[in-house]
Amino acid sequence: MSTDSFKDLRTTTGSASGSSKPATPAPTARPRKGEVPRAAPGGSQPPGARRKGLSERNRPLWMLIPGGLLMVVIIVVPLLLGIYMAGLDLDQYTLRRWVSAPFIGVDNFVEALVSSPLLRSVWLSVSYSLIAMVVTLPLGIAAAVATQNAFKGRALIRSVFLIPYVLPSFVVATVWRTMFQPNGVVDSALGTIGIDAGLWLNGPQTYWTLILVQIWASWPFIYLLALSGLQSVDHEVHEASALDGALWWNKLRYVVFPYLKGPLSLAFLIGMLHHINNFTLPFVLFGVPAPADVEVLPILTYVTSFQSFRFGLSAAMAFVSLVLIAIPLFVYLRAVKLDDAETPGGKK
Amino acid sequence: MSATATPVRTASSQEFRPGSRRQHEVTRLLPGPLLAIILVFLCAVVLIPVAYIFLASVNSDIGVANGEFLPSSFSLENYTKIWSSVGLATGLANSVLVAGATAVVSAAMSVATAYVLVRYQFRGRLTILRGLLALQSVPGTLMVLPVFVLFSSAASYLGIQVIGTQWGLFVTYLTFAMPFSTWVMVTYLRGLPRELEEAARIDGASNVGVLVRIILPLSWPGIVVSGIFAFLLGWNDVLFASVMTRPESQTAAVALQVFGASQEGGAIPLYGQMMAASLVCAAPVVILYLIFQRYLVGGLTAGGVK
Amino acid sequence: MRFASSAKFAAVAAAALALTACGGGASSSGSADGPVDGKGKKLSVLTGVNSQYSEQQKEWFKDIGAKFKAETGADIEFETFASANDELTRIQTSVVSGQGPDVYSLGTTFTPTAYATKAFVTLSDDDWKKVGGKDRFNQAALGISGPDDEHQAGIPFVSRPFVMAYNKELLAAAGIEKPATTWDELAEQAKKLTNPATGTFGLATGYKDNFDPWKFIWAMSVQAGNPIVDGKSLKLDDPAVKKAYETYFGWLTKDKVVDPASIGWSNSNAVAAFASGKAGYLMMTTSSSVPTLEKSSVAGKYAYATMPTTAPGETSPKGDAENAASILSGDNVVVADYSKQKDLAFAYIKLITSKEEQLNYQKIFGDLPANAEALKSLDSPTLQPIADTATRSKATPFTGAWGDIQLALLNVTVQSIPDLSNGSVSDSALQDRLKDAQAKGQASLDRASK
Repeated sequence: MSTDSFKDLRTTTGSASGSSKPATPAPTARPRKGEVPRAAPGGSQPPGARRKGLSERNRPLWMLIPGGLLMVVIIVVPLLLGIYMAGLDLDQYTLRRWVSAPFIGVDNFVEALVSSPLLRSVWLSVSYSLIAMVVTLPLGIAAAVATQNAFKGRALIRSVFLIPYVLPSFVVATVWRTMFQPNGVVDSALGTIGIDAGLWLNGPQTYWTLILVQIWASWPFIYLLALSGLQSVDHEVHEASALDGALWWNKLRYVVFPYLKGPLSLAFLIGMLHHINNFTLPFVLFGVPAPADVEVLPILTYVTSFQSFRFGLSAAMAFVSLVLIAIPLFVYLRAVKLDDAETPGGKK
Repeated sequence: MSATATPVRTASSQEFRPGSRRQHEVTRLLPGPLLAIILVFLCAVVLIPVAYIFLASVNSDIGVANGEFLPSSFSLENYTKIWSSVGLATGLANSVLVAGATAVVSAAMSVATAYVLVRYQFRGRLTILRGLLALQSVPGTLMVLPVFVLFSSAASYLGIQVIGTQWGLFVTYLTFAMPFSTWVMVTYLRGLPRELEEAARIDGASNVGVLVRIILPLSWPGIVVSGIFAFLLGWNDVLFASVMTRPESQTAAVALQVFGASQEGGAIPLYGQMMAASLVCAAPVVILYLIFQRYLVGGLTAGGVK
Repeated sequence: MRFASSAKFAAVAAAALALTACGGGASSSGSADGPVDGKGKKLSVLTGVNSQYSEQQKEWFKDIGAKFKAETGADIEFETFASANDELTRIQTSVVSGQGPDVYSLGTTFTPTAYATKAFVTLSDDDWKKVGGKDRFNQAALGISGPDDEHQAGIPFVSRPFVMAYNKELLAAAGIEKPATTWDELAEQAKKLTNPATGTFGLATGYKDNFDPWKFIWAMSVQAGNPIVDGKSLKLDDPAVKKAYETYFGWLTKDKVVDPASIGWSNSNAVAAFASGKAGYLMMTTSSSVPTLEKSSVAGKYAYATMPTTAPGETSPKGDAENAASILSGDNVVVADYSKQKDLAFAYIKLITSKEEQLNYQKIFGDLPANAEALKSLDSPTLQPIADTATRSKATPFTGAWGDIQLALLNVTVQSIPDLSNGSVSDSALQDRLKDAQAKGQASLDRASK
């Protein structure tokens, strides 16, 4: 099935650009470049300067077209539309004719930064994501290390470990919401050992509730990537360190962990982004208006637009937060060099 | 990072067949007791809530509200009720259709995209790679309205009705799945040796020929992984599905969310049915995952994300 | 380039969509419909899901669909929304795209917001005739159909006034002869009814409910003479509002007449508590609690009563307070402006607001008719106080900003919940939250009157 659709894709786009070698690279590379002007300004070069690389003949750059086109149409165009909306005074009074809503420039951005809870939400989002991540890392690594060696029932345990990850997040949130309700199963369990934990779904403790559920739902992702890192440890390495009679901790620390650095850097990055953009979990857990302690970014922008009808302001908020997150992201990408592990083509 | 890893596959490693005793001793990482503690702890953490879902689904609603873990009464009737009250059948069918199509197409497209990104050097390549990661930071709440506007203008200007059909969801999920799927394929393809490709090229194979005949058969684990990620994305989404579907194109996620939200007013929520429906919604994904389990780990491996 | 014209966006979008070409689905075109001959047409109706009676609701859909088909030849497709959030989202996306359901069923408090979008038909005299004439409706129910008599978009469908239920046995046992008519009296009675030893409390109410809290504050403030919205200014930073919050919070912190767990309750939990005989009064409930209570342990032992109309601290109703027994509550139906089959929509509304259908609806779901004749013909003693309240309900201010104001009022409670669970809400904290609510609400009001 997948090969079939792949062939279709090949025939539709292939005929157009299959043979004309020098002409194709420029137009295909360009739209893709345009889609990340903010996130990676340093990476792009003036599009005029392309007159080399012909040594790599017959590069099938057209294969980038379908995916690139989709991303441009469904992500970049709406993103630009969203940014445009951020400059509009778009609310319930102008929504119907949104195209002719008054253009107010940066007013929404000013309002978002000065007189809205945006910065607080950014802080909440980032700190909660980070705490959740810091806890899930050791959990995921421990799970990966523990299931690295074959033992009876390992396949079963590996499956068990991934359950929280494959459970849809609305299911996760619904279930935890039920468990955390006042007098619910969590309260009665804690009650039997004499703890009155107070409210889970209201008040300051919601922040920790959110973190807790997020950890439960996302540690398997770290586990998965850590496991993939462990698989790449060569047998010789194991052998060598085993012969050395290395203590398990030292072996882990100095021999095995270095292999995990790459996958875990990626896991860290993707995980943080997923946490920060996780709308379903806080939305289903706490509802709206959410307690102030869990008014994370997606909730804030959702409420601002879909509850208060301030679509312009909401778009400005989302855009500001996007930039605030993209800057550290970019720095991180540069530092970790996830994307630059090798330089294919350079050798041959 | 790459300094430590210089994969040289020598004959000696063949002696240690996986699962053999010798191999076990050598690769052993943790002392037994610690291993047991970790496994027991994590299994408990995962299984207790999962068990609770099932137990609550057969319990009475009052029992759930009173915080019972072990049900005071037992009844499976919630599992029959949900099909009409939640409208799960349509939801599940739509979810399977949309998420399944997303998975297949996104996997196919990401192989091609990743192949070009890994094997060819061209200007803007790094930018694209970074962009793939950067695109994941775009918040869904920012995108909902613009995507909706875009789709609805397709109806007004082109006469193509997208909103309310499975197509709209499919295209949206496909696009949002592409960055990560492609990234998974990029890391996977990096780990594949080039020798076979080069051999094929010497035999006169075209780019497409190499991709289809050499790369594709070798990358099944990676394809499965990226497909599963795409599937999960489509299966889990509530935000887009809730505004872009109509009753007949509603996904299971939306059906469940709608059912849950409708329990807010009135008397005691129908916890039992909610839990039963949750379990039923989760089942296909868990089964899918169990089938492809081996690939899922293996697919993220080969060459790793070094 | 960032601010490229929308035409350009449309062009890009169009081109792109042509390429991705996923042209499935039905491109429904069709206009030129004869008066009420809807043969081959399909009317799309969006309405709230009734989770309590989901089976009955499906039956009702089928039933009405058949009758409508018999009358006009057209089919109806019913679509349901699950929550207020869903409802808002559906309205917004339909408004922005100019496509969606033909008829919407809206909670009354949403009507001002919907009206502000101008995306719904403001009924002309002619239109009113098509739905059976304006005078077929309970005139009080028209109070929230539009900003004034000339501009009305919402057609009343059902009334759902808020009342309280009381446990006759518990009240009698505490020596209380008749339910309270002032908020102060209510608190006194509640104290008598409370007995922590048996787990019985005077009042059952949910502080975590998404709607109840602001309704209490609104009622107590209005009864004290503060209309909340006075022309272009919002009056949340007013002693009456503060007093209302103090009273409402006081049940929990000072009087201790509610279950401490009710901090985390929504209205449904309160219903459950009352149904199990653990509360003297069930606050802020509607006739839709009848079926639940009839099946519970308090069946036959409870009655409804109008909630107090005398503001806290007062001894008798002030000004028009008697007529602020409840917010004007229920459902309105509106017709989308973009609808290409408005006449069909009106025909549908005419059908569902007929006396017969209204009474039938009441029987199944408990909601009171908006049809005047149907309302008059109700003579059940259980429903009498509720029907009475329906005529003494007051509309919430008709402004597009009401949604925000309501949210701001609710938010004061949401943010006070941690304090409530610690036993007290400090004066300064409440003051700050009110100030915040005032600022947010006023800003929204300013936008509305711009």
